[in-house]
Amino acid sequence: MADDSNRRDVLKLVTCGVGAGLGLAIAGPVVRLVLAPAGTQTVTTPSAPLDLGAVDRVKVGAPWRRFDVIAPVVADAWTSARDVVLGSAFVKRTSESKVVALSAICPHLGCAVGYERETDTFLCPCHNSKWDGQGELAGDAKAKRSLDPLPIEIKDGRLALTWKLYKLDTAEREPA
Amino acid sequence: MSADDRPRRARGNVRAWLRERVPGLPREPAMMPNGASFAHVFGWVLVMLLVVEAATGAALAAFYSPSTTSAWASVAYVQDKMPMGWLVRGLHYHGASALVIVAGAHLVQTALWGAYRKPREVVWWIGVVLLVLVLGFAVTGYVLRWDQAGYWANRVEVGIAAGTPLVGGTIKELAIGGNEWGNLTLTRFYALHVIVLPGIVLVAVAAHVWLACKHGATALKPGKPAPRSAQSLRDVLAMAAVFAVLLAYVVQHHGADLAAPADPSAAFDARPLWYFRWLFELRQRTGSFERFAALIAPAIAAGYLLALPLLDRHKARGLWLGTLVTMVTMIGALTMSSFVRDQGDDELAKREEQAAQGASRARALAREYGVPATGPRDLAAGLPMYRARALFAQRCKGCHDATSNDRKGPVIAAGHGNRDWLRAFLRAPSGPDFWGKSKLGKSDDAMKSVELPARELDDLVELLYAQSGALDADTAKRDRGKAIFSQACTDCHSIDEGVAGASAPGLGDLGSRDWYTSFIGNPKSAVHMGAERSEMPRFDKDLSIVDRDALAEYLVWLRTATPKDVATLGDL
Repeated sequence: MADDSNRRDVLKLVTCGVGAGLGLAIAGPVVRLVLAPAGTQTVTTPSAPLDLGAVDRVKVGAPWRRFDVIAPVVADAWTSARDVVLGSAFVKRTSESKVVALSAICPHLGCAVGYERETDTFLCPCHNSKWDGQGELAGDAKAKRSLDPLPIEIKDGRLALTWKLYKLDTAEREPA
Repeated sequence: MSADDRPRRARGNVRAWLRERVPGLPREPAMMPNGASFAHVFGWVLVMLLVVEAATGAALAAFYSPSTTSAWASVAYVQDKMPMGWLVRGLHYHGASALVIVAGAHLVQTALWGAYRKPREVVWWIGVVLLVLVLGFAVTGYVLRWDQAGYWANRVEVGIAAGTPLVGGTIKELAIGGNEWGNLTLTRFYALHVIVLPGIVLVAVAAHVWLACKHGATALKPGKPAPRSAQSLRDVLAMAAVFAVLLAYVVQHHGADLAAPADPSAAFDARPLWYFRWLFELRQRTGSFERFAALIAPAIAAGYLLALPLLDRHKARGLWLGTLVTMVTMIGALTMSSFVRDQGDDELAKREEQAAQGASRARALAREYGVPATGPRDLAAGLPMYRARALFAQRCKGCHDATSNDRKGPVIAAGHGNRDWLRAFLRAPSGPDFWGKSKLGKSDDAMKSVELPARELDDLVELLYAQSGALDADTAKRDRGKAIFSQACTDCHSIDEGVAGASAPGLGDLGSRDWYTSFIGNPKSAVHMGAERSEMPRFDKDLSIVDRDALAEYLVWLRTATPKDVATLGDL
């Protein structure tokens, strides 16, 4: 009798073992596939400078001007899309040979920041953060840092801006 | 209590705990009254295959995009770019075949054993409905890939349904979502495939299994009772064996096939999935009755199966089973006949070979460059410099390609305008690869070869090379070259931008993008070849500035390209 029940236990063990192995064999590839996008660059935007047009679109002494930042090609998983608007940037010409740019992404939670010419201030509509004409925080604001500067230069008479994203809601500026 | 008894005791406690909370759980471990047997494994193997379909299907759904512009692209992405994507997709696709085979075997066995008889009629009916639902999964799933195979198969299948008297048109419009195959076709079949059918199948399987367990297994002859665990071992071994065969098949075939993207304008030899091939063959053989045959035959088959428990009440069991065997044999024979017919068709084999080439090319493009947002039909447009190369093939190749029989101008190929090219040109301007085929090359006006010591020739080459704006030009050599140019070339040419030479082209900016745009626009301009010397027509009238600039970009690219680079761009 004891032999019989031991035999049954062995059989159950074999059943569970084979069953577990089968479960793993089915789940393995499925889990691998589903996890694959994590840690993969599935959306690729250009890291090279992007063209914002001729430099005379911004004049020395003129207020900030908003530009759409358009990537010629963005690879998004299976799609290769052309002329994709990545976001916008404010550009100002500080001298004949120098331009500066600020990202229009609010460093608080990523809303689109607007610019008010009359008062020369930047304003975020979502939580009323305010920045002065230099992009520095002004007053009591939810945002923890100044507007994010974007690398920009004049190349062959054209504005060449490098698009960058930073971590949101941090006092220090860290690449996202 | 010995140490050996402890786990068993613990299991007993768990069972007792559950029994109090889940009324209806059996008091004792179930027994198989007639013993355990491999004859009873089919049901659980089918459950295992359904689990494989559900798990792989859920993973695939996490990648799938049901729209005409992105469906094929998302499937190709899983198949060719995601780790184990091909394996998961292969298990899903071939797992469905395994389901049909095992379900068929289950059905035939149940019928032969008479297991549909009282009191198991309802189990049998649900089983027949499940088989039909499995085939429904196949129909709704095959179109989702939106490749030529799935697209055309769907057109045929929906076309058959549209032949239903009275309601055919409505069925078609409901199925494809309106008047024509498009985005709504995919969203609707997707909803059926991943929400509606799984929901119905889940309920039907639960009812089927519950009822089957209630009634217990049918045995051909009485045996010695055995514990349920003995059957479980056989079940799990059979599941593992079937899965192993499926896995081996999928690995051997590297998953499922994927044809070229759906294209309503391209003919395709549509073939249904293998388990519908008997119907396909039946249609081929019934001539003008094909619609009728395609609708009636499955209806007769399903009706017969549903009616079997009622018909078999009388004693003529042999007759009914004989009919079933005949039906299965006919389906098998028609299936075989269809495959044999295709095998003997050499023309079909050629077309299929072509289709396979198109598919592998489309997939290679998708893998390399991604699929344009406008959809896979514009795949080639995603190729680097596609527009320029298409224009070059149409407008320039005849006179400038090395392989052209009507060539009139210099060969334009990889390395055009680089240092080696310039050096070779200066040594023999009327050489066969340069002006040799032109009227100019044969005339007295032709440029004489430049006789200079190698070093000075190098400097002159550098000067001309630097005109293109190439960043790697050597400024010292260029400046020395300028001095040589002033002595040897200025009688005819000029090196100042936009200034014509005295009797030959101005060479300022030679080889730059702007220079090419200008030259292509009007080679007869005085600053270029001049009206007398140029055989090349003006293109500023029939090519837009954008097109000329695209060509110019391509020509600039060719300067630093190797023949291998050009080959990598692929055919248009």
